[in-house]
Amino acid sequence: MTLNVSNIQHFSTGDGDGIRTTVFLKGCNLRCPWCHNPETISPKPQILNFKAVNEQIAYGKSMTVDEIVADITKDELFYDESGGGVTISGGEAMLQSDGCAALSKELQKKDISVIMDTAGCVPFGEFEKVRPFVDKFYYDFKTPDKEKYEKVIKGNFDLIQSNLEKLIRLGSSVNVRIPLIPGFNTSNEDIEKFKALLLSLKVKEIDLLPFHRLGASKYEAMGKQYLYRDTPVLSKNEINSIFDAFSQNFSVRIET
Amino acid sequence: MSITMLLKKEIEAKPAGVFCPDYFKARALNDNSSLSAAEKRGEACFSLFAFSPAFIYKNDLIVGSRRPMFVDLPDKELKECTEICAETGERCFLTNNDHFAPDYAYILNRGIPGVIEDIDNSIAAYSSQNGEKRIVNLLSMKKAMQGLLRMIGKHIDLAEQLKGAEGYNKSNLDFIIGNLTTLLHGVPDGFASALQLVWLCHTCFGYEGRYAMALGRIDQYLWDFFNKSVSSGEITENEAITLLENVFIKIYEKRAFGDGDDVVNICIGGSNENGESCVNQLSYSVLKAVKNCNVPGPNLSARISDSTPDEFLDECLVSIGTGLGYPALMNDGANIPALSRYGYDKKDVYNYCMVGCIENFIPGKQPPWSDGRFDTPRFFEYLFNNGKGILNGKTSGIDTGNVGEISSMPDFLKRFERQIADGVKKYVDNFNRVNTPENPEDLTSPFLSCFAKECIQSGLDINCGGAKYSSVHGAALMGVGTVCDALAAIEKTVYIDRSLTLDEIREALLCNFEGKENLRQTLLNAPKYGNNDDLVDKYSKWFVEFHFKEFSKYKTRDGGPFYILMAANTSNISAGKLIAATPDGREAGEPLSDAASPTYGRDKSGVTATLQSVAKPDYTLVAGGTVVNQKFLPTMFSGENRKKLLALIKVYFKLGGQEIQINSTSPEILKDAMNHPENYKNLVVRVSGFSAFYVTLDRDVQLDILSRTQQAV
Repeated sequence: MTLNVSNIQHFSTGDGDGIRTTVFLKGCNLRCPWCHNPETISPKPQILNFKAVNEQIAYGKSMTVDEIVADITKDELFYDESGGGVTISGGEAMLQSDGCAALSKELQKKDISVIMDTAGCVPFGEFEKVRPFVDKFYYDFKTPDKEKYEKVIKGNFDLIQSNLEKLIRLGSSVNVRIPLIPGFNTSNEDIEKFKALLLSLKVKEIDLLPFHRLGASKYEAMGKQYLYRDTPVLSKNEINSIFDAFSQNFSVRIET
Repeated sequence: MSITMLLKKEIEAKPAGVFCPDYFKARALNDNSSLSAAEKRGEACFSLFAFSPAFIYKNDLIVGSRRPMFVDLPDKELKECTEICAETGERCFLTNNDHFAPDYAYILNRGIPGVIEDIDNSIAAYSSQNGEKRIVNLLSMKKAMQGLLRMIGKHIDLAEQLKGAEGYNKSNLDFIIGNLTTLLHGVPDGFASALQLVWLCHTCFGYEGRYAMALGRIDQYLWDFFNKSVSSGEITENEAITLLENVFIKIYEKRAFGDGDDVVNICIGGSNENGESCVNQLSYSVLKAVKNCNVPGPNLSARISDSTPDEFLDECLVSIGTGLGYPALMNDGANIPALSRYGYDKKDVYNYCMVGCIENFIPGKQPPWSDGRFDTPRFFEYLFNNGKGILNGKTSGIDTGNVGEISSMPDFLKRFERQIADGVKKYVDNFNRVNTPENPEDLTSPFLSCFAKECIQSGLDINCGGAKYSSVHGAALMGVGTVCDALAAIEKTVYIDRSLTLDEIREALLCNFEGKENLRQTLLNAPKYGNNDDLVDKYSKWFVEFHFKEFSKYKTRDGGPFYILMAANTSNISAGKLIAATPDGREAGEPLSDAASPTYGRDKSGVTATLQSVAKPDYTLVAGGTVVNQKFLPTMFSGENRKKLLALIKVYFKLGGQEIQINSTSPEILKDAMNHPENYKNLVVRVSGFSAFYVTLDRDVQLDILSRTQQAV
């Protein structure tokens, strides 16, 4: 069993509890225009050329489950000490649900915790494959607005909504992650809609991920244009007021 | 503004004249020209301490300043003094002059009058057994201590005079007078007078022209005084911190006066012989005081052991995260077994501290430290060029044959070892020649010898057999990353892939890769140290083991050991300038890898991989100490992230890592990274679901991070 891996990142600190290794898988079925990992969208291998520093970084290679496990287990002592583990992210990791299931199963055998980071736009059957081996889902929920979702992100809103609802109903541990994108989902109206929808889905934990422009240079290195190149980041006050609004109903963290 | 910051302002007003202790020593040497060398040196100390002016800052609570050593007189007059002193000679760093941790516990326990009493008892004992030479030494020690008493008396007089003077506070002066009066007549009676005694002694070492004199394990030897004073309500913990700050901020005098840093190592934490943690409330107070001072000079080290509470390590990280970069974290788990190899008593080993930057030292039990740099990558030149330097053409190595004849990696390594072994022998011969003065007994250190109680018991100078243990010398090994990368590149390209031959590599090194960029890229593409890859990491184990074995063959002038260190203290840059291209793909003149760290920018597999590589060698062979630098963005030092950093360090130490110096990237570092990205290739920006190397970010995004960092500082 092989996976199409974009890159493996050790000592990840923003992808869950403790010291984690994040396995970024390559290939995505959504087209969020603010995406900070544009190199993970295409399933094909790519070389990013950071001209200013004369640095070429290759993304994308086929790795067997064993190879990935061998790389991950090098940091086992760090996971044990910190209560960390592995986060499988992307791209859309769930597009490789069979590989993810096989990988998670091996990690479960080694008592290494697995978080599955997904935007959820796959048939629920894919979730069934990984559910037994995954400790937690990080479920990206980008907007409560069906029309906006389908127009901007090019996904199936009903599907991601029903998948989230099923995961919660079946007792999976789920953190809903909301990327806070200026001008897209941060108005008072957006937040109120979000709250109403997430409450109805019985969501309890929410992580807020404020927009940043760190990915800009990747677009340049890919010879692409970044539509969010000049979008200003949210101010501390804006982030705090959104945090306060969600805190009335949910347990909320701001991930930076 | 706090009293500490007010004091800092006072310190920053530079004194007139030049730093010239010779001015005060010369009068004793001139007046007493018929005395023996040792006697003269006692008189010189006395004169230096007794006849230099007293000085008290308006915001002083604990007195002792370098300022009195600044003499504003015509050059001609000072030159005469310097010439008189030069005639009597002086030790220097390579002849064991400074980099010493005094036995402050002994001085605090006995007080100055008690030390003098001990000296008198020793004189009485040797009087009955023909110990003339010893008695002369002891009398000179006593003279130095009497000088210190005079210095105290002088400061009491000045404090009295200053009452009512503009800017001076009477109750502070009374506080100073009270502490000094206690010291004049007996042992310190509380935290303030104990700290005053320690600081006066340190000030005197500065007067003698010594630097890098450690304060050592201040949280241990002052603990009883602190505990008594705080628990009796005599002072509050915050007042104790203010007193510590009053001392630590004065370490900054040397730099403020334009004379470099007085690299004063202060060591907190650690464990005792029973494996119990030595961390106490004073450890935390010292940490706070150093943090509040926020000046270069106090080199804070924290000894971390299995028994160290997480809470303490976390407090260390808080301090580091302010941008101060201190404390450096030292692993007892490596240092104690390393020092235990040399036959020191167990209680002495467990009482180790550091001098200078990171050098392990047993306080008051050995002569002052010395070290030198050993640039192992140089030996590739001799190996590839039949014993001759590639850049300078001199025959400085041995001819180990043509490299084209070498048929296997073990054979290559064996010949490399012969070059290193020859280099070690030359290094040691050279050091021992320099380190052995013609008339060592003419170069006594009477004041310093009082801080090693065995010197008082034996009547021998600290450098002439008085210390409990022999002198040690540290060889600081440079370029472990360069060497490992070079050996791995040869193994990979010549013996595994067979894509290059040693003759081809030789030619490329001789012409500094001129016109051979492809070959250089092939070498650069081989595995590199710092990525947790055993193909290359195995050479770091060999590096440490082999150098340890070679240096262990030799002894210092008085029979002490040669330690190895994995440290370079920026000499990797100057040494690199003189070294030809190396088989790791490094071009001639480029820096060698720094200290025990991988070559900058080549450890690209994340910090967990870097630290696992770096922890692979057996550091219990490295008694001198190690430096590993790591930089993190300031966001790593808050909230949940700091817990992760703490876990990272704990694992690194469990794996046997010896030391780690962590820096929170200051705005200056980030600016430097923008201008010199090649030096910061492994600096990672971490956010959820994303990470990138800082240097690959857009310039305006880098500026964003920079401005956020500035706000946080």
